[in-house]
Amino acid sequence: MLGRKSRKKTGLNIIIVGCGKVGATLTEQLSKESHDITLIDKNPQKIQHLANTYDVMGLAGNGASYNVQMEAGIEDADLLIAVTDSDELNLLCCTVAKRVGNCAAIARVRTPDYSEESAYLRQKLGLAMIINPELAAAHEVARLLYLPTALEVNPFAHGRVELIKFKLPEDNILADQTIVNLGKKGVSQNMLFCAVERDGEIIIPTGMFTFAAGDVVSFISSRRDARNFLSKIGFDIKQVNNTMIIGGGKAAYYLAKQLLPMGIDVKIIESNLERCEELNALLPKAIIINGDGTNEELLNEEGIKNIESFVPLTGIDEENIFLTLYAREVSNAKVITKINRINFKNVISHLDLGSVIYPKYITAEAILAYVRAKTASIGSNVETLYHMFDSRVEALEFLVDRESEVTNIPIMEMNLKKNLLLCCIQRNGKIIIPSGTDSIMPGDTVIIVTTHTGFDNIQDILA
Amino acid sequence: MNNSIIRYILGCVLKIETILLLFPCLVAIIYKENEGIYYLITSCICLALGILLTLKKPESLVFYLKEGSAATALSWIIMSLFGALPFWLSGEIPSFTNALFETVSGFTTTGASILSDVEVLSYCSLFWRSFTHWIGGMGVLVFLLAVIPLSGGSQINLMRAESPGPSVGKLVPKIKTTARLLYIIYFGMTILQIVFMLAGGLELFDTLAITFGTAGTGGFGIKNNSIGGYSPYIQWVVAIFMILFGVNFNVYYLVLYRKWRKALSIEEVHTYFMLIIISVAIIFINISRTAITAADALRHAFFQVSTLITSTGFSTTDYDLWPQTSKTVLIVVMFIGACAGSTGGGIKVSRIIILVKSIKKELASYIHPKCIQKIKMDGKPVEHEIVRATNVYFVAFTIIFFLSVLAISIDNKDFTTNFTAVLATINNMGPGLAEAGPSQNFGSFSIFSKIVLMFDMLAGRLELFPLLILFHPGIWKELFIKKRKISYKK
Repeated sequence: MLGRKSRKKTGLNIIIVGCGKVGATLTEQLSKESHDITLIDKNPQKIQHLANTYDVMGLAGNGASYNVQMEAGIEDADLLIAVTDSDELNLLCCTVAKRVGNCAAIARVRTPDYSEESAYLRQKLGLAMIINPELAAAHEVARLLYLPTALEVNPFAHGRVELIKFKLPEDNILADQTIVNLGKKGVSQNMLFCAVERDGEIIIPTGMFTFAAGDVVSFISSRRDARNFLSKIGFDIKQVNNTMIIGGGKAAYYLAKQLLPMGIDVKIIESNLERCEELNALLPKAIIINGDGTNEELLNEEGIKNIESFVPLTGIDEENIFLTLYAREVSNAKVITKINRINFKNVISHLDLGSVIYPKYITAEAILAYVRAKTASIGSNVETLYHMFDSRVEALEFLVDRESEVTNIPIMEMNLKKNLLLCCIQRNGKIIIPSGTDSIMPGDTVIIVTTHTGFDNIQDILA
Repeated sequence: MNNSIIRYILGCVLKIETILLLFPCLVAIIYKENEGIYYLITSCICLALGILLTLKKPESLVFYLKEGSAATALSWIIMSLFGALPFWLSGEIPSFTNALFETVSGFTTTGASILSDVEVLSYCSLFWRSFTHWIGGMGVLVFLLAVIPLSGGSQINLMRAESPGPSVGKLVPKIKTTARLLYIIYFGMTILQIVFMLAGGLELFDTLAITFGTAGTGGFGIKNNSIGGYSPYIQWVVAIFMILFGVNFNVYYLVLYRKWRKALSIEEVHTYFMLIIISVAIIFINISRTAITAADALRHAFFQVSTLITSTGFSTTDYDLWPQTSKTVLIVVMFIGACAGSTGGGIKVSRIIILVKSIKKELASYIHPKCIQKIKMDGKPVEHEIVRATNVYFVAFTIIFFLSVLAISIDNKDFTTNFTAVLATINNMGPGLAEAGPSQNFGSFSIFSKIVLMFDMLAGRLELFPLLILFHPGIWKELFIKKRKISYKK
C-alpha cells in the first residue's frame, strides 16, 4: 500500500500453474504477501488479465512442459502450485518440477478416484501438499452440521481446539453483559472471546466489553468446553438428523460420505440421471432423487419445510443463493451456502444467508499457511491459518519448536502488538487458555487472533 | 476515472524533478555561475507544487490503463514545462516556446535544438540539457516505480505507457524489481561509458554531457559541431555505446543472469545488428568514392548509422553533403529505429519484423488461401492482439507523420526540410536533412511549427497512444468536468 511500511522480508519464488478460481485467488493473496509469482496457463487472455491486475509475471504454455517450467524459472523457484482443471496434469506438473528444480510442490487433486489415495500419492511423489477444495468444503459443511448453531467452526490443533462463530440472538443471557461479569458467573470457563463484529466493525474484545443482541461473536476453546458454554447460554448443541443436498457433484459426494456414518440421513437431488445412478452405487444408504433441484414443487414434495438442514451445492452460485433464500423463507432448517466464483462479498454478507463457505478461500488459506511456514525463519511454523470476517481478522496456529524472544516469558511481560490476542496454548495435549502469568514454551502450539495480517513467525506478535 | 491517483503521481514526478534540478545547481557552484540560482528557484517551485499535490493521499490506489496512460503523458508534459523554466528565467533562451522546445527535445531524447550557438550557454544549462536526455532515456515513471512503494499490480499500466515496444513485459515477477533492474543496467552502462571516455583523455564535464546524450540516445552536443571535434577514439566509443543502448535491455538482463544462449538468440537483436552492418557497408562504399581516407569513411559511416538507427542524433560530419544513396539509407534507418525495450526511438525493429512478416503471411495466403499460419518471433507465435496493435501503430504513425508535415508546410520551407524535420522529431532523432540538417537548427521554424514538432516528439517518445488519449473527449470529461453527485437510494 502507498505509505504503508513495506515488509523487509523477501518473498518466495512461487510458480502457479492454472489460472482458474483457485489460481486467481492464490495469486491475489500471495501477491499481497509480496512473493515473486510467475503464472503459467494455456490461455493467454487469462494470464494477461491477472498480470494486469496483480504484480505478477505471466507465461502462456503447458505447465507440465520442461521448457515452459524452465522459462518460468523453476530452477530458482521455492514452490510450484499446480491448480489446473485436470488432476493428472497437476500431478505431472509437480513430478516434472520435482525432477527439474529443487522446489516444493503442491497439487490439486479432487476426483474421488484419487482422493482416497492422496496420502499415498503425496508420499510417493514427494509432494508438500495435496489439496482438494471439494473435500475441504465438505469437511467444513459437515462441521457445521454437527454444530448447527454455529455460523463457522474452524478447527485447530488437529480438531482439539475450535474457533466458533455464532450470532447473538435477541433475549440471550449474554446480551448486556460484560466479559468480566460472565467470568465471575462462571458461564465462560476455559474459553476466550476472540473477536466480535458489530455493525460492520471488528472488535477484539477486552474484559470491559459489553455484548449486545445482533453481535457476531467468535470464541475459542476445546471441543467439549465449547459445547458446554453454548448449552449454558441456551443454544441447542445437537447435531442435525437429516439433510437435503441439492446438486450431486464431488462436494456432495464427499459430504454424504462423511455424514452417513454419523447417522445423519442424506437426501441428494440431482438432475442428471446417469450421475444419480453413480451416486446410488457409491452411496447406497443415501436417498438419491432425480430431478431439478431448483424446482419449487419438487423441493416441497421432498419436504423442504420439515427438513433440519439444507445444503445447496450446485455449480451455479446464483442458484445456491436463491435456494438458500427460499429455504430460509419456508423452513427453520440450518442452511449452508457454497459460493464458488462470485465476488460480491459485501452484498452476500448483507443478504443474511447464515453460514457461507467459499471452497476457493479454504484452499487458499491452507496453501497460505504452508507458504508462511516456509517463509518464516526457523523457530516457529504456521500450522493453520483462517481468515475471518472477510479477511479482516486472521487466526493463526504456530508450532513453536525452539527457544526465542517469546518463549519462557510470562505473557504480561511481553510487549504484544495491539489488536492481538494470544488465545490458546496447547502443551502435551493439554489445552491452556492463557492468563498473564502463563508463558510460551518450546514445543507448544500457540493460537493467536489478530487484525494484523501477514504474520509468518511467532515473533511477529511482539510490537 | 481515478483522478486522485493521477494527481498523486504528478506530485511524485515533481518531487523527483526537484531533486534532479539540484544537479545543475551543483554544476553552477563548481563553475561559479550565477545561472544556478534559476535552477534552484525552479527546484523550489517543483518542491512546493509536489508537496501540495501529494499532501492528500489518493482515495483509491487502483488505476487502469487509461489512468496509467493519462498520468504518463501528463507527467511528461509537466516535467517539460518545469524543466524549461530555468532556460527561460535565466534569459539564456529568451523565448518560452524555444525553451520548452529545447526541454521537450531533451526529455524525449530527441536532441533537436533551436540554438544556433550552444557554446555560449552556461555550464549548468549545458549540463541540464544533456541530463534531461539521461532522465528521459529510461523514463521517469520507471524510476518512480523503482523507488516509490505503490501497491497492487496495476502499476504495469504506468510502465506500459512509458516503455517502448509492441509488448511490454517484465523481467522478473515484481514490477519494482524489474524497474530497479532496468535502472541498474542503465546506470552500470552509463558508468562504463564514462570510464571509456575518461580513458580517452576527455574532460569530465564533456564526458558526462556526451555520455548522458549517448545513454538516453538523445543527441544534444555541447559543441556546435556536435562530436565532430573529438578524437576518433571518442567517436568510436560513442558510436559503439549508442548501438549498445539501442539493444533491447532484456539482453543485458539475460547476460547479467548468465543465460547466454537465450541472450544471444533474440531475433530482434540479430536483425538490428544485420541492419547496422548492411547500412554501414552501403554507405561506406558510397562515400569512399569521395576524397577521404578509408578509415575516415568507415568511421563516419559507422557513426552516422549508429547515431541515426538508435535515434541519438550526434554527428561527426555534415551528412547532408553525402550522396543521395547514403542519405536515403540514413532516412530508412531513421524510420526503423532501435530495439524495443531500449532507450532508442523510431518505429522499433521488432515492429518492423512483425510488419514484414505480416506481409509474408498475406502473400502466402494468396497461394494457400486456407492455410493457417501464425506470425512467429523467437520461434514463438505472436499473439493476434500484438500484431493488430502493431498494424494500428504503424497506420497511426503514418497519419500523424503526414499531418505534421502538412501542418509545418505553412512555414513554406522546402519538402526535404519539412519531411525530415518531422521524421527527426517523431522518431526522437534530432537533426534531419537540409534546413533541419546536422549543421542547422530548428530555430527558424515558426511558433506553430515548433508546437507541432514538440507534439511529435512527445508522441514519438510515448509511442503515440498514451499522448493521443489525452485528446479523447472521454478523458476530458473525466479529468475536467465535475461529476454530478447523484443518489437514488432512499
